[in-house]
Amino acid sequence: MANRTLPRLLQAPAVLMLLMWMLVPLGMTLFFSFIRYVLNSLRRPEWTTPSIENWRGLGNYKYVLEAKDFWFAIQNSVFIVVSILIFTVVFGLLIAVLVNRSFPGRGIVRVLLISPFFVMPAVNAVLWINMILDPVLGLNGLAVAGINDLVVGLREFPLIGQFFSMWPELKPISFRATQTSAYAVIMMVTWQWTPFAVLIFMTSLQSEDESQKEAAMLDGASAWSQFINLTVPHLARPIAIVVMIQSIFHLSLYAEIEIVSRGNGNKNLPYLIGEFTSNNIGAASATGIFAVILANIIAIFLLRMVGKSLMN
Amino acid sequence: MAAVAQTSPLSRVFWPALAWIIALIFFFPIFWLVFTSFKTDADAVKPEHLFFFTPTLENYANMTENYDYWRFAINSVITATFATAFALVVGVPAAYAMAFDPSRHTKDILVWMLSTKMLPAAAVLYPMTFLTKNMLGLFDTHFLIIVVLCLINLPIVIWMLFTYFKEIPKDIIEAGKMDGVSTWGEIKDILIPLAWGGIASTALLTFIFCWNEAYWTVRLTTIDAATLSKLIEGNRAPEGLFFGRLSAVSTAAVGPIVVLGWFCQKQLVQGLTFGAVK
Repeated sequence: MANRTLPRLLQAPAVLMLLMWMLVPLGMTLFFSFIRYVLNSLRRPEWTTPSIENWRGLGNYKYVLEAKDFWFAIQNSVFIVVSILIFTVVFGLLIAVLVNRSFPGRGIVRVLLISPFFVMPAVNAVLWINMILDPVLGLNGLAVAGINDLVVGLREFPLIGQFFSMWPELKPISFRATQTSAYAVIMMVTWQWTPFAVLIFMTSLQSEDESQKEAAMLDGASAWSQFINLTVPHLARPIAIVVMIQSIFHLSLYAEIEIVSRGNGNKNLPYLIGEFTSNNIGAASATGIFAVILANIIAIFLLRMVGKSLMN
Repeated sequence: MAAVAQTSPLSRVFWPALAWIIALIFFFPIFWLVFTSFKTDADAVKPEHLFFFTPTLENYANMTENYDYWRFAINSVITATFATAFALVVGVPAAYAMAFDPSRHTKDILVWMLSTKMLPAAAVLYPMTFLTKNMLGLFDTHFLIIVVLCLINLPIVIWMLFTYFKEIPKDIIEAGKMDGVSTWGEIKDILIPLAWGGIASTALLTFIFCWNEAYWTVRLTTIDAATLSKLIEGNRAPEGLFFGRLSAVSTAAVGPIVVLGWFCQKQLVQGLTFGAVK
């Protein structure tokens, strides 16, 4: 066996940097989660410095678990992530199959489809919530106003006027409101990440066994049964990977939530941590540990899959 | 592609047409952003000027005045460039050792590196603020943003480089060793020229990720090192008054990156799925 010193030395900077990046801040979060630590307190000034003397044990965890916001944030995180996953996987599959054949301008179609993925999240959110979804000045508001004008115009006509006079005046949905801001986030992230799913599924479709498909076609299998019996099983693995990678990314959504409604009615775990951080560091840290646990549950499965594919 | 051969003429027109329509729908928001950027702020909110208006470049001309665009853009360029370079300097030797001189721990190290990427950033928000503000005095410096961007992308950089390097025949590297070439010489004269394409696309993709990063660049900066993400987030709710100028500055922030992205679609799959989808 050759000398192992050199390869170790070459890897050392990367390993040490990542080790520090992982251990130091996370260790601090873990420590803070067990002590009483607030940024401002007139009554208990001793709590404003992190110290082992302010030990609180599992108190912060208990406090967080009993907070209404925490359960809302968990629910909302799951709601947002699962909705995005369903939309991106379904749209991604359909579009990938659609584009996975040769036709004029296929290259351009691919370029157009992939573009949203490279838009920075802050611009994505600002663009959608203002220019597109704004209930008055965005395309949303303008479209609804246009339909209303059309209906009013049609009321002037004989016969059909009677019919249209029974139509109600439509009201545009405001996506900054408490109940709807999550939908806006789901919409913009779906727009941004469907291209990712399309790209992965297309890559995978290109390695699909064409001879198997031709045999199925000779046997008279319909396009639909080919899709269900051959293509979907072939895509099982990429689907699993798309689901897990997106889960990890979307559990930490932040910019979109901040820009749409500043978390009003639409908090997720990272946003809640940000709010706690303005004063109650103990609670923020305990919430952070919960977020780490949640992400790890998914990461373990993903890493196992990735690790397996590494070896062949 | 043989499957299309015996389909009916109708479906030969229908499916491509559908693909085109969907692609145009997906691209529409970007088109609309660019389109709006050529309207004045007043025209941008008038329904009668929705499609017909006199195009103007004033929004672009006034970007510095309205938003101090170039200061943020230069910060983005500096932080993304140096973070990418730094990640490559650390990543190339590490990936080289892992690909050509693996030990039985190499696989575990690679998987562990990826796992650091999966930690939710928010969980360490306060410690990072505390460390950089109260202890190291690095808050809102280019150096801090460069280091953080480098660290969050390092696992992906090493993974991508590793998968590229693995495809280079080991014999070529071994031959260099026989001839008594030093390790540095091997990397510089053999590996880098051979893996140039892979290294370049890794760099390109890392640059894009750094440019678009929107958590740490927003939360660890105030003014001095603030990037374009921070600029756009700071102007989140213009209440319709400034759609024109906001579109222009947004277009300037994403345009170059979207175009760069077109050139690395293939690498994106590898970079984001860690070689698990081929």
